[in-house]
Amino acid sequence: MEDSSLLNKLNRVTAPLDFESKVMAQLAARRKALPQMRRALRFRYSLAGAAAFLLICFVVVNMFVLQKGPFSEFAGRDTQGTLNPKEFVPITEAVKYSPEIRQASYEPKTAYILEQVSDASNVLIRY
Amino acid sequence: MNMDEQALVLQIQAGDEDAFAKLVYIYKDKIVNYLYQVTGDYQKAVDLSQETFLRVYFKANKYRPIAPFSSWLYAIASNLAKTELKKRWRMSLVSLEDVPPAVEISTPSEEASDSGLIKNLRQALDTLSPRYRIPVVLKDMEGYSQEEIAEIIKRPIGTVKARISRGRNILKKQLDKARTGNVSFQKKEIFDGRF
Repeated sequence: MEDSSLLNKLNRVTAPLDFESKVMAQLAARRKALPQMRRALRFRYSLAGAAAFLLICFVVVNMFVLQKGPFSEFAGRDTQGTLNPKEFVPITEAVKYSPEIRQASYEPKTAYILEQVSDASNVLIRY
Repeated sequence: MNMDEQALVLQIQAGDEDAFAKLVYIYKDKIVNYLYQVTGDYQKAVDLSQETFLRVYFKANKYRPIAPFSSWLYAIASNLAKTELKKRWRMSLVSLEDVPPAVEISTPSEEASDSGLIKNLRQALDTLSPRYRIPVVLKDMEGYSQEEIAEIIKRPIGTVKARISRGRNILKKQLDKARTGNVSFQKKEIFDGRF
């Protein structure tokens, strides 16, 4: 290619006269700073390690040491016979169905089936 | 690989500063020139060259003599240059839309002289994306083979061939534009920020 040979015509530069001395001076300075840099790096790594260790400890303690017993649910408590029916005050709530009934003109006919969803004995639930 | 260089690297690995000074003496001009061609800034090229040699000294233990020492040295220099250009690109992004390109193309009357053409070439090279500029400079100015360039920039040889070809084409187009006096191209047309 014609232009690639032209690239050879571009000015070539050389290093400044004090280049080597500057490099050697920087080398000495960096060598001197190297132990300090390594110490700082080690400190940073140990800090990160300590943080990671604390996090792992926190997770382990939460998972195994502070583990709580099995939760007994309301329905379960009933089956275990721990419930005292006297603790509950029966409430009879009047249910108003009129706002629930929507216009049949724009909605398909819907059958609402009301069923008991709680496993608790129906003795405790009063409609 | 040059046996003398290999011996020098072995000595550097043992911490010999004299061997390091010899290596600096051998390669300083080549590396400064290479980085100057890539960055287009002499002072920056000198700084990056110093950093390149310091890295050679401190990372000498990582060098494996499976490739020529010069390839390893140029790989370090190329990586530093790429980082520098990336930094410069990010800084220029803010003002790229508003500021006209800093590319000054000489007028056709100037082209009669060789210096005008070289000036255009220099400016065209400075605006070329580093992903093309580095392989082109390594091939056409430093005289490396495509295999060696692939080793230096850590890319497959097919990619290297494509980049050299595309880089040369872009340079040619820019020079043609400069010859016809059509200097309306924008810097961002050439360098899309990909490295």
